[in-house]
Amino acid sequence: MNSKNEKSHEGKSFEPKPYSNPYVVGFGLGLVLLASFLVMGRGLGASGAVSTVVAVGVENIAPQHAAKNNFYKEYLGDGTTNPLKDWLVFEVIGVMVGGFISGSLAHRIKRTTEKGPNVTVKTRLIYAFAGGAIMGIGAKLARGCTSGLALTGGALLSLGGWAFMFAVFGGGYAAAYFIRRQWL
Amino acid sequence: MKELLKKLSAAQKLAAAAFLLGLLALIIGTPSNNHSVNVNAKEMLLSTIKTQDRVDVMTLADWLIKEKLDYTLVDLRSEKEFAAYNIPSSLNVPVENILTSDLRRNQKILLYGNDDVASAQAWFILKSSNYKSVYILDGGLNAWKDKILFPKLADNSTDEEKSTFEKVKQISLHFGGTPQLISGGTSSAVTPQSAQVQPMPKLSAPKSPAGGVAKKKKEGC
Amino acid sequence: MMPYFKFDYFGFDFSLVVAFIVGIGFGFALERGGFGNARILAAQFYFYNMRVLKVMFSAIVTAMLGLFYFAWIGWLDLSLVYIGDTYIVPQIIGGLILGIGFVIGGYCPGTSLVSASTGRTDGIVFVLGIFAGIFVFGELFPLIEGFYNSTNLGRVTLPEFLGISHGMVVFLVVLMALGAFAAAGWGEKVLAKKNGRGVE
Repeated sequence: MNSKNEKSHEGKSFEPKPYSNPYVVGFGLGLVLLASFLVMGRGLGASGAVSTVVAVGVENIAPQHAAKNNFYKEYLGDGTTNPLKDWLVFEVIGVMVGGFISGSLAHRIKRTTEKGPNVTVKTRLIYAFAGGAIMGIGAKLARGCTSGLALTGGALLSLGGWAFMFAVFGGGYAAAYFIRRQWL
Repeated sequence: MKELLKKLSAAQKLAAAAFLLGLLALIIGTPSNNHSVNVNAKEMLLSTIKTQDRVDVMTLADWLIKEKLDYTLVDLRSEKEFAAYNIPSSLNVPVENILTSDLRRNQKILLYGNDDVASAQAWFILKSSNYKSVYILDGGLNAWKDKILFPKLADNSTDEEKSTFEKVKQISLHFGGTPQLISGGTSSAVTPQSAQVQPMPKLSAPKSPAGGVAKKKKEGC
Repeated sequence: MMPYFKFDYFGFDFSLVVAFIVGIGFGFALERGGFGNARILAAQFYFYNMRVLKVMFSAIVTAMLGLFYFAWIGWLDLSLVYIGDTYIVPQIIGGLILGIGFVIGGYCPGTSLVSASTGRTDGIVFVLGIFAGIFVFGELFPLIEGFYNSTNLGRVTLPEFLGISHGMVVFLVVLMALGAFAAAGWGEKVLAKKNGRGVE
């Protein structure tokens, strides 16, 4: 598939290596997910950790305000343990470390901004912030993100997970046309 | 065969494996509908002899007062009986629904019926279906009534018995019971609101999901 | 019996160590797949690089088959694996919103963390955006709580919903994934020829 590319890059050791075969990566990711199911009885996640951090932040600034809100309360627990001592928070720290390790091994750590050829860095960053905010809202409304709901729920054959996954692709393809300038 | 394997790329091999496993899954159908199981009879006998899997009503009363909630208290009686009276914090799972309930195999489960029969049967069913820690309330609801709700003290009892009765009385009152003194065959309640027919305590408003079923933080994303 | 945690093989504190290790594996795989790069993720929505679909479906198929066979052998109690309740309407609407955010921002929450940790500024900004979005959601929550909790179908899985056997669903998902892979490979080739753009 991209074996030609791989060979041409192998000579120069500090060039970023091309990304691995997607099917092999998917198989590996599937094994990680399976290990999580077998050991912990739960899947992966990402946005839940951010929610916990947001809830803790709100509680520190305005405790009464947070106590009135069922959404924050859900992530603060019953107060017997520190809410940041949470499975997903530790998992997400691991995700960042794992990404960094893999990036270092393949010489892909780089201070840069990924953007399409026809937009400025500033435009790209505005889009990134807006996209992140929209995604935060969508993920919370759906009770999960691509990792927690689509990937985990997909493997567990959860109805909500599969409906969500098709909705994500549907929303993405519908919006893609309107912002094609950003990427193409 | 080896030649063929060499020709295929890693992705193609994975695809072939996935297809074969998928096909086999289609034939298997359901992964775990196997309800006939092997039971380690000796292990069960041992735990029965040692009565490790029994909890007596005083211990339960103590747990409830201390709000120790690491177990799920399961009432095996019918919904009607459950509605009339149940031990605080209990969850109603009529014995016929025991396998389809939400009880989890890693939960500590404490069973009770009117006597020991239903709980003993449910205990065996759960144990043989791989539920790890299942306990029986010794004597069931009848023992709960005798010892906790309506404890009796005979007139001619010793001081020692009297002092233990004082403790029991407190526990009994805590659960809305009616401790009684028995003098010469007729019984009279020691509490002011005495009554010939022992009234069952009124049920307090049902609390949020019982027995630690839903109190922990959610596991989702 | 698995899952180990649910049978108290280890306690809560050790589960956090497991979380960290699992997270490393997850982050490593995402980075290997090229998901720390917004251009590759966005390419999915313009059909010229279908990595997202390939990685995601092969991961789902792998984990799904693993779950099925571990349960079949009897090593895993599938009923103890946490499956979130289905709230069908909020989840579809949330999915659509998330998909739009995906194309605009170029990441999803997990991948943006990898992107941020490998030095991409847009990834860092995207993560900040998620914080802002979740804060806004939290503040608006009292207004949308009713909708958020609507159409709860409980813990529903596809075999139950479709009324067919678990194995049948597994087989259909495998077939669908293999079909999607074949289509993706073919589509990439066609587009690459047309645009003169490489698959990478």
